[in-house]
Amino acid sequence: MTLGGGASTGTAALAAHGLSKRFKKKVALDKVDLEIPVGSVTALVGPNGAGKTTLIRICMAFERPNSGAVEVDGVDPWKHRSEALRRVGYVPQTPAVYRGLSVEDHLSMARSLHSSFDVDYARRRLDQLGIPLDQRADTLSGGQAAQLGLAVALGTRAKVLLLDEPLANLDPLARREFIQVLLDAVKSDGSTALLSSHIVTDVEDACDRLVILGGGKVRLDCPLEEARQAHRLTEADSPPAGATAVGSFLSKGGKDILTLWRLAPGADPSAEPGQQSETASLEDVVLGYLAAGRGVGLQLN
Amino acid sequence: MLSRIRLTFKQHRFETIAVAAVCVALTAAALIEAYRLNSLNVPLSCLQTYQGGFIDPSQGPVTAAQAHCNELAKSFFDTTRSLDMNLVQLLLLLVPLIAGIVVGAPLVAREIEQGTAPLSWALSGSRRRWLLGKVLAGVLLLAPLMLAVGLAANVLEGALNPGLNPYASFSNYLGRGVPDVFWALAAFAGTFALGTLFGRTMPALVVALVVCFFARAAWDAGMTHFVLRPFAVQQDQQDQQQSGIVIYGPGGSGSADMYVYSKSFIDGKEVTDAQVNDWYNQNMVCAPMPAPTSGASASSTDLSSPDASSSPGAPAAPDNPPGGFACQTPTIDPSHMPQQVMYVLPGKWYWQTVAFESGLLLLGALFCAAIAFVWVDRRRPY
Repeated sequence: MTLGGGASTGTAALAAHGLSKRFKKKVALDKVDLEIPVGSVTALVGPNGAGKTTLIRICMAFERPNSGAVEVDGVDPWKHRSEALRRVGYVPQTPAVYRGLSVEDHLSMARSLHSSFDVDYARRRLDQLGIPLDQRADTLSGGQAAQLGLAVALGTRAKVLLLDEPLANLDPLARREFIQVLLDAVKSDGSTALLSSHIVTDVEDACDRLVILGGGKVRLDCPLEEARQAHRLTEADSPPAGATAVGSFLSKGGKDILTLWRLAPGADPSAEPGQQSETASLEDVVLGYLAAGRGVGLQLN
Repeated sequence: MLSRIRLTFKQHRFETIAVAAVCVALTAAALIEAYRLNSLNVPLSCLQTYQGGFIDPSQGPVTAAQAHCNELAKSFFDTTRSLDMNLVQLLLLLVPLIAGIVVGAPLVAREIEQGTAPLSWALSGSRRRWLLGKVLAGVLLLAPLMLAVGLAANVLEGALNPGLNPYASFSNYLGRGVPDVFWALAAFAGTFALGTLFGRTMPALVVALVVCFFARAAWDAGMTHFVLRPFAVQQDQQDQQQSGIVIYGPGGSGSADMYVYSKSFIDGKEVTDAQVNDWYNQNMVCAPMPAPTSGASASSTDLSSPDASSSPGAPAAPDNPPGGFACQTPTIDPSHMPQQVMYVLPGKWYWQTVAFESGLLLLGALFCAAIAFVWVDRRRPY
């Protein structure tokens, strides 16, 4: 189920067509169709095992899809790996750094591996954060290591940035700093970012687009604002006018069952909600879509 | 590429320093041991006439010069049998393999274990180029170090066998000189290929240790049985008289042949070993000997013929007489006795043989490397 219909204008920075991936009997991605518009910062949200990492790994040519195809800036990474990877900056799930190497060594290595790596640019980014270049990378804090990973990805000056749950192991302050650096870079470079996370609140201020993955399928793909405006939340099974039910899930206290409703396409989102309905938060939207098809869903975080 | 090689050394700092330190120390130790032997200045004639301290009284009284000669020879052989000498020789045999394994095991496997492979592979469009940089670093580390170890081993071999030219002899030829470099490279390539396949350092290390040591143990027999056999030539009679089959002790012509195989003949007809044994069984006469009286020397028993009591053809004794058995062949024309012809690689073929076997090791290394280069492109980085 998608809203907004993917990229509305221009070429997609990242596109998946009928993308499926199985690991033995487990289906990680099931005929995923997705288009991430150029210049957007997209949140890829879903619970653990939803297929977020698999999708990003396929984009990085780390995994081969069983069927379908993916294109990164118009290039199939499995068929033309070098071409595709030249257009991608990647931040892995765990900030992996070389234990014996300094921060500066990491930049030198990136320069030796990536022909257009901008060492000065990456160095400036790290300078701004006060990360000493001569410090051994294995002595950096988790937040600093994540920033190093981001600086390496940004130094490639790639058109597309793929960030695989980079915030998962960071404290709130480090998360905020990370997001800020990412947004500054995306704004100044005009690049496209796909940021995966299973923590909705981390990404809702940073992103302008939302993709919800659940059970290997795209549950929602639309601009963030549209996701907020087009949904309502009620405690009872009394739908707002012209709305269709998306899914039901437990409230935070676990006492009530909440239902997420999707307003009809023509409905005026600014209309006064009924007495029993309220505007859905992004977390509610995500919970509602993940609960769809699962009966009463559990709280996402 | 230079930057990548430098960073590979830095990344594998421990292995780099450990292997370099061991190789330098071993080279120095081999040269010191060689110096110890050379500084004894034992004349070659002393070593050739030395009989392990036994002095034959039938040869008359021992002169002062002979006694000095024996003393020098004894100190020489004591040094060659010393613990430190044996340790150095053992290490010279093992270090090329161990160094190759230690450098090769973490090359790719540690990147996968520690989760740094996705970082590098995302940056490098070509994983093969990424691997090439790492492999070059390993080769640049191992080749000069192993050459130094191999040359030092050659010097030691020359000192252990005075009068022997190490570059024209097959005495211990695969454990010294240029082959050391190729043993190390083969072990290195095999191990990093295993590391690429497994993605784990320790399993790659253990499997490589087992495979390499079996390969090394089976190499000599495999080569002489299957590869070098067609190239062997009948040993020169003069060499046979001068040096026997292979010179492992001091002296001789300075050249040691490599025994590959032999053929036996009776009356000009080629026979099997079993037929030779049958011949001895049929033609040998054994008789029980009286118990030796005190003071009797071993030399008093005539065991000079090849068909002595230790011969494989000796019949089993129903009882063990106190003096054992003495077996003799009746007087037979020597031309009708079994004859053995040795087929060898002459010592002067040292360089050709070393080049050939080093080439085989290099081919093996390239084959393993090719597996790694193919697999690294296909495997997951985690």
